[in-house]
Formats: sequence, structure tokens, C-alpha cells
Amino acid sequence: MAVVSTRAGRLGNRLAIAAVIIITLIFLSPIYWITSTAFKPLLLSTTVPPTVVFEPQVTPFVKLFVKRAQLTGPVDQEIYDAAPWWEKLVLDGGERLSRDGKGNVVYSAYPDRFVNSLIIAITSTLLAVSMGTITAYGFSRFRVKGEADLLFFILSTRMLPPIVVAIPMFLMYRAVGLNDTHIGLIILYTAFNVSFAVWLMKGFIDEIPKEYEEAALVDGYTRMQAFFKIVLPEAATGIAATAVFCFITAWNEYAFALILTNRRAQTAPPFIPSQIGTGLQDWTVIAAGTVLFLLPVAIFTFLLRNHLLRGMSFGAIRK
Amino acid sequence: MMTRLDPKSRAATRGWSDITIRNLFIVPTVAFLIIFNVFPLLYSLGFSFTDFKASSKDAANFVGLKNYVDVLADPVIWRSFATTLWYVIVSVAGQFVVGFGLALLLNRPIPGKGLLTTLLMLPMMLSPVVVGLFWKLIYDPSWGILNYALGLGKVAWLTDANLALYAVAITDIWMWSPFVMLLSLAGLSAVPKHLYEAASIDRAGKFYTFFRITLPLVAPILLIAIIFRTMEAFKTFDIAFVMTGQPAAELISSRLYKMAFQQWQTGPSSALAYIILIMVLCITNIYVKYLNKAKER
Amino acid sequence: MRNLTKGTLAGIGLLLASSTSVLAQELTILWAEWDPANYLQELVNEYQAESGVTVRVETVPWPDFQTKAFTEFNAQGSAYDLVVGDSQWLGAGSTQGHYVELTDFVAQHNLTTAMAPATMKYYSEYPGGSGHYWAVPLEGDALGWAYRKDLFENPDEQAAFKAKYGYDLAVPETWQQLLDIAEFFTRPDKNMYGAAIYTMNAGDAIVMGVENSVFAYGGSFGDYANYKVTGQLNSPASVKALEDYRKLFTYNPPGWGNAFFVETNTALAQGQVAMAMNYFAFFPSLINEATNPHAKNTGFFANPKGPNGDDFAALGGQGISVVSYSQNKDEAMKFLEWFIKPETQKRWAELGGYTCDAKLLESAEFRNATPYNEAFYQTMFKVRDFWALPEYAELLTEAADTFYPYVVDGQGTAQETLDKLAATWVDTLKSAGYAAE
Repeated sequence: MAVVSTRAGRLGNRLAIAAVIIITLIFLSPIYWITSTAFKPLLLSTTVPPTVVFEPQVTPFVKLFVKRAQLTGPVDQEIYDAAPWWEKLVLDGGERLSRDGKGNVVYSAYPDRFVNSLIIAITSTLLAVSMGTITAYGFSRFRVKGEADLLFFILSTRMLPPIVVAIPMFLMYRAVGLNDTHIGLIILYTAFNVSFAVWLMKGFIDEIPKEYEEAALVDGYTRMQAFFKIVLPEAATGIAATAVFCFITAWNEYAFALILTNRRAQTAPPFIPSQIGTGLQDWTVIAAGTVLFLLPVAIFTFLLRNHLLRGMSFGAIRK
Repeated sequence: MMTRLDPKSRAATRGWSDITIRNLFIVPTVAFLIIFNVFPLLYSLGFSFTDFKASSKDAANFVGLKNYVDVLADPVIWRSFATTLWYVIVSVAGQFVVGFGLALLLNRPIPGKGLLTTLLMLPMMLSPVVVGLFWKLIYDPSWGILNYALGLGKVAWLTDANLALYAVAITDIWMWSPFVMLLSLAGLSAVPKHLYEAASIDRAGKFYTFFRITLPLVAPILLIAIIFRTMEAFKTFDIAFVMTGQPAAELISSRLYKMAFQQWQTGPSSALAYIILIMVLCITNIYVKYLNKAKER
Repeated sequence: MRNLTKGTLAGIGLLLASSTSVLAQELTILWAEWDPANYLQELVNEYQAESGVTVRVETVPWPDFQTKAFTEFNAQGSAYDLVVGDSQWLGAGSTQGHYVELTDFVAQHNLTTAMAPATMKYYSEYPGGSGHYWAVPLEGDALGWAYRKDLFENPDEQAAFKAKYGYDLAVPETWQQLLDIAEFFTRPDKNMYGAAIYTMNAGDAIVMGVENSVFAYGGSFGDYANYKVTGQLNSPASVKALEDYRKLFTYNPPGWGNAFFVETNTALAQGQVAMAMNYFAFFPSLINEATNPHAKNTGFFANPKGPNGDDFAALGGQGISVVSYSQNKDEAMKFLEWFIKPETQKRWAELGGYTCDAKLLESAEFRNATPYNEAFYQTMFKVRDFWALPEYAELLTEAADTFYPYVVDGQGTAQETLDKLAATWVDTLKSAGYAAE
């Protein structure tokens, strides 16, 4: 398929590239809609018919970072004139900034929650991928009693709708003091992801010919050295793909983040969609929160893109 | 191709023994999963035989199989099951066609391939609740962009009893096809080039090459992708729950959520959860058999 | 970020420490995410300045509010000292011991007269008529209507309306007039519709909407004190009310089967409908020009009367209760004492809260403060509510699941729908141990 040199082949190649570009554009159109909403004035987010062309503004991003409340009357002109540019944007949108007892601006929970999300998602991804990789290697290379059953057990931990265990989980976490902690969520997300990581990594490691390692062992490597120096580099594609998927799952988890945390370890997903003032859903702020929250995953994936695409080129020596 | 290392080879006896490494690599993970998955599971298995209500201080009474009988006798739940099954088929088939198709198209030298792949993966990077909310906005017959852009008039995507399920499935396909695409791509690039060269020397047709060479070699990783997508589709909750309340499109997870967290029927909802688990176990088991067969080839 | 290290340390520390390390001099109130909660945070900031006690209003998204609160209650969690709970939570809150009983507090501060009677009855007393109180009314709320004054006052429209219906186009005084007006303004070719009502099959959306018509028609959702459903829920008045709710639905914008407070307000603000049903709590955005281009032309009215002159509306709103698992109950009581002071209530109303203080509600100052306060005042004296049993949520989801196919999909008849729901409810009540019929 990839080997094409005929004229028909070249034409086919061009058609394929054109098709990919068209499909990519279709896939991106909802993302474009979200992004454009993040720069709209609130009223333009739900016009009938929808507004496509508009003058972009940064108000949604300002609103995302401050606590605010709907104005119940007109703004005092003096207050308006004295306000910094970003406060004016909020006031123009019909809202006032919330202030604490000392009159200081109160910032929204978004930045803190964003950082919590980073800590929790990165740590749990590292854990899930490491555990998944070594366990997959163990199953792939050594004789394990009841291997098929054990693997199926590992898979089965992912079959139940997770909300079922929410109540037992909550009681268990409360009993051991894990609720509302970063570690609690890290452990939970690792548990969600590890079965997936084991299965995916086993798929990749199975494809790495054992001859590579045996050659290394003959050269005087220990098994551990062979694992680290031969197997891991060969499994890079698998590790990258697994890491991306695990990160995405942990990054976006909603239900447990909502139930198990109160104020210390809250993550961003439950915050982003809850932008309801007195009667209008603020689509623009939801979009702004979504766009910023998409960036870390997108960057992470983009950095790993070459690993993701390198493919399992080692498959050349097959039995 | 279950390649195994020979534990008795001399080389393997340097450093830690294979047995130590094996145990070190496998036991912690299995133990961890038992603690964090099996514990809560047994907990709710216990609930499923009682009339326990998490919202009530009354002690739980053992009711035997009553919850299972009640759940299985409830026509609403059967309808949800049927809806879910159809949804899984539509959604996973769609993801397979779009995802694998994209992978076939992408499996050639393309300038900016890394960027293209990253862009294609954006949908699955979003939080399901946000995806549900925004697709609700996109589908809206009054202020949604979809009908407007396609000139469809006033199609009520999410409230029409005949359309709602497909509307949710389209969103799910949009979100998760990239997952199938990425795994397929990894599998496709593993197909040794010399096999294609041999095939082209034999003047084998395109179809022959695809079904006899490409597909069997990609099958194992593709099946893993499909196993996970099937399991996840069965559990679809957030996007469907956010997008539509149309009873004709009610998925089993939504029913389960209503029972467990809105009505606090902890006992019956645990029973329902176990029935779902058994169904998913059976379906997955079939897949895994195919997977093992595919690997033996 | 300043909380990064703090958060990580707290995370590690809490592995060993128990989760009880809530600092004294700090109170946490749980509520849903919306502007009234923001107003409450602004209000309690003033309490902090006075008393030195920090009060935090923690919010969760509306659809998850019930889940979050009851997961905490059921596990007897002490994360929240006070909760601003829905009126229907009183049953579970009182009988399951989640709420501290406030009967003495209510008597001591004469709250039964200080607060509007309906608010004490529905936000605080449980069981109904028992004289046991569990909450202090915090945010009064009920269903009302917003309408486009410019359309109603347009001479051409008025003439056309009079020619067609034989009476003057004005704010509807009966449900029949409401239906006529909705029909009159339904012009699909101009992308204009008569009304926007609640239809969403989630939470209490569609049920609240149906309640509004059932109560006005003199129907009921059952005899709550005697657990009597049959003959009440499916009475001729209720059936007629449900039929007319379905009729009203046909004057809504296309695909209007997913609508709750956000959608009805959006439809009015976008000029798509002539009238919109909503909770009063959501009306401020309709008089704000930044969020409603028709703000100057938006008027409000209380739920019209039914065919037999019955005059009722569906209740929303919340009371604030002390969580019995809190470790700061004394501080929480002190806070409530501050909250019920007339000057605090006045400030609460100024900030944007819907006070339940009877004197304030009746004052001309309050009634003229906004275009919707008068309608709110009228409504708060004619409200009725849903069941408040601990099992209310089961009844609620069953009702929503049953109403939806009839109202939105047009399946079956109103009589069949209500007969079916009555049978379901009797089963549910019986299996919960009530002598239902």
C-alpha cells in the first residue's frame, strides 16, 4: 500500500491526501465552533440564526479568571471610569466583579483547579504507563500460571460503569482519609487506566521479537538491562500512545472529581461547564475554559507525534 | 506469536532471576487492581442482594435475588438495554469505519503528518461533558450551527425520538474515531514492507493484498482498539446524559445513574450494574477469543 | 500558583491525617453554581468583616447538586457546615438526620411571622403541619412568566388579536388567554413562536412546568398528608391541565423538548418567543441589556388563573439548613442569627437575593425595586410544591419519564399518562412503606 511509484499510484496518493485534508477539516469544524465561541460576546453565542462573522473579543477569558455576579442595576459612572480595562469588559457584559471583605477582587477557582488537574493527570499517567509497561512485559515474556484469566481479570476492571462504585469508593476513601486529596485522585485514575495500559502495551511488546533480547543476553546484559536498553526503546510508540490515552482520560474525568473532592484537590472539569449566571448559560466562558484546558493535552500529543507515528517498524523479523 | 524467553538459559541467570522479575512486574499491579477495583466491586455486589438505600439510615435487609428479578422484569430497563445495544453497534461500527479508513489514508508519506494526526485527535482530548454541551448547542434547531450550515431547516436532532440516538452516536463517532485511527496506524506501519513487495511481484490484486496481508497483521491491535471502544460505548454516560432526555434514546448507564444517584435505589442499581457487567464480560470474551485467534495466525 | 505546594503538601498530609482538619472560625456553605450563590458570597463577606469568621460558599453545577449533597450526607460527611437545599430535601434531611432541627430557633426568633408564611411552610416545616422546622428560608423562588411588552402593546397586533379572539390583547389573566396569546404569536414562517416552557426530561424541569398548570387548574399531585394519589393526580382538572400544557408545547419553537431555565430565557432574549416560563431567580438577566437586547421591553406576570378561578403557581427556592455532621454547629447557628436580622435581609435583597422576609416582601420599596418583584410578591403568596418525602426524587424521575412522551412526543392521552403515573406512584409509595392509595 505504501509502496507506490506508478502514475495511478501517485494519483491515488494525491486523492488520499485530499481526502485526509477534507476529513480533518470536517473533524475540526466543531472545535472551530467552540474556539470561535470563546471570543464572542455572550449575546452572539446563541443568536437565531447563528452568528459566524463577528468582532472577536477577550472578555470570556477575563471572565474565566474572576468571580463575578450579575448586575442588578446600572453601573455607577464613576466606578466604571475608574475601572481597569479588563474590569470594564466584565461590566460591559452586565456583571460586576465579586470582592472580598477588604474590597480585593476575588479570582475564580480556575487557575488552582487547572494546576490540580496538571498534578493529578501527569502523576497518574506516569504511574499507569510504568505499571502497564512492566506488567505487560511480564505477561509477554514469562510463563504465568493462569495468564489468560489474569489478563481477562485486568480487563474486566474496566467493564463496569464507574459510577456504580462511586458510593463504595466514597465510603472507602472517607474511611482512609483519601477523599479530597491529590493522592486519592491520582490512585483512582491510575486504577482506571492501568488495565488499558497493560492490554495496549502487551499488544505492542508481543510484537517485539524476543531475539533482540536474547542477543543482548548473549552479549552479557542482565535481563533488567535488556529490558531497559532494548525493549523500552522498541516499545516507544506503544508507550507514547498509551501515555496520550491515559493522560486524556485522567485529564477529563468528571464524576469522581466532583464527588470525591471539596476544596483542596478539585480539578477543572467540573468547573468548566458550570457557568450559569441568573438565567443564561455563559457559553463563551465555557468555551474559553475548554480551549485553555485543551492546550496541555494538545501540546503533549504534538510533542509525542513522532513517537506515535513511528510505528512498529521492528516487525520485520517475524516468525 | 507468543514468544517466551527460556528461563533456564545461562544468560537469563545473571542479575535478578526471571521469577523475581516476573513477580516484581506483575504482582504489584494485580494487587493494586484487586484493592482498588475488587474491593468496591464486592461492596456493591453485597448491596445488590439487599434493599439498601444509601440515602436512608434504615439497616439493609437481605432480599436474595429480588433486585435481579425486579430489574429483569422492568420493561423500561429492557428498552434501555436494546437501545444501548443498537447504540454500541452503530457507534463502534462508525468509529471503526471512520478510524480505520483514516488510518489507511494516512498510511503513506504525507507532509505535515504529525500535525494532521494531532489535529485529528483533538476531539478525543475534550472532556465528555463539554463535548455533550457543545454538541447540544451545535444540534439546537433554533440557534445551532449544524442545521444552518447544512441548510437542513429545523431538524430536531436531540428531541426527535427517531433521531436522538443517532445524534448522540454521531458525536461519539466524532469523538472516538481518532482513537481507532491512531491504533490502526500503529498497526499498519508494522506491516513489513517486503510482504507488499512480494505481493506486488505476484501481481496480487489490491483486495487480495488488503484482506490477506494487511488485515490479518493489523487485526490484533485493531481488535484491542475495538474491545476498548465497545466497553466504553456500553458505558456511555456523560455525553448522552447531557445531550438528550429523550426516553427513546436512554442508554443503560443513564438509567443506572438515575436509579443510583437520583432515586438512591442502591440495592437495585447495584444489581443492574452486575447485569451490565455480565453482559459486557460475555461480549468482551467473544472479542478476546477472536483476538487470540488473530494472534495465532 | 500559590496553592500548588500547599495543595501537594495537603494531599500528602491528608493521607495520614483525618479529614476533620477544618479550621475553627471558618464555615462552608454548599449551594449550586449560579448568581444567587455569588450574591450570597458577597453577603457573607460582610459577615466576615463583622465577626471575623470566614464563610465560603462552595458551589457545584446544578445537575450534580443533589448527587453531591446527598453523597456527603449519606456518608455523614463534615465537609459542609450549612447547605442551601431544595425544598424537597426536607423529608430526607429531617427523617434521616442530615439536618439539625431548628424548631427552637424558629420559635425564639418568631420566624413563622417574620418570614412569608409560604416560605416557612415549604422551605422549613416537615412533615407539613407538624410544627417541626429544619431550615431558614433563604432564596424565595417560584415559577413566573416573562413577556415581550413591545409585542403586546403593538397597535397592529392588538387589533389583529381583538379581531381573532374578541377581547383585548393584554397580560393573560387565565390559562385560556395564555393559550390564545401563545397561538396568536406562533408564526413559524417568521421564526416567531408563542411561548417557551420547561420540557427537559432531567431534574425537575418538565415536572415543574406541568405543576404550574396542574395547580392553576385546581388539580393536584396528590394528598401529601395522606399519601393519596389516585383520583387526585388523575382528576379531571389535572387531566385538562396536562392536555393544555401539551397544547402550549405546540406553540413552542421546533424541537423544544430539551428546555429548562437556560433555554427559555435564551429564546426570549433572542426574540424567538413572545412569552417565557421561568423561575424568578433567573429573571435578572432579562432586565439586563447586556444579556437581553429586549430588556427594556420585557415585562413579567404571575402564573394566570385556571378555568375554575384557582390561582396557584409552582414553588422553587431554597432554605438554609445546618448539617448535623458539621463540627462547627455553634458557629453555624450564630451565622443564621445574623442572617435573619432585618438589616441583613435588606442587604441580601439589595445584592440580588430573593429575600423571604415578610415585611421586606410587602414593602413598596421592594415591590418596585425591579420590574419582576411585584409578580414575585404576588406569586409567593399562592405557591404550592411537589412531594417532599425522602423518596421525592423517585417520584420526580418517574413523573418526568411519564410526562415527557406525552408532552413532547404526543404519545397517548393525558388521561392515560396520569393514570399510568398514578399507578406507578402508588407502587413506589407502597414499597417505601407508606399507606398509599
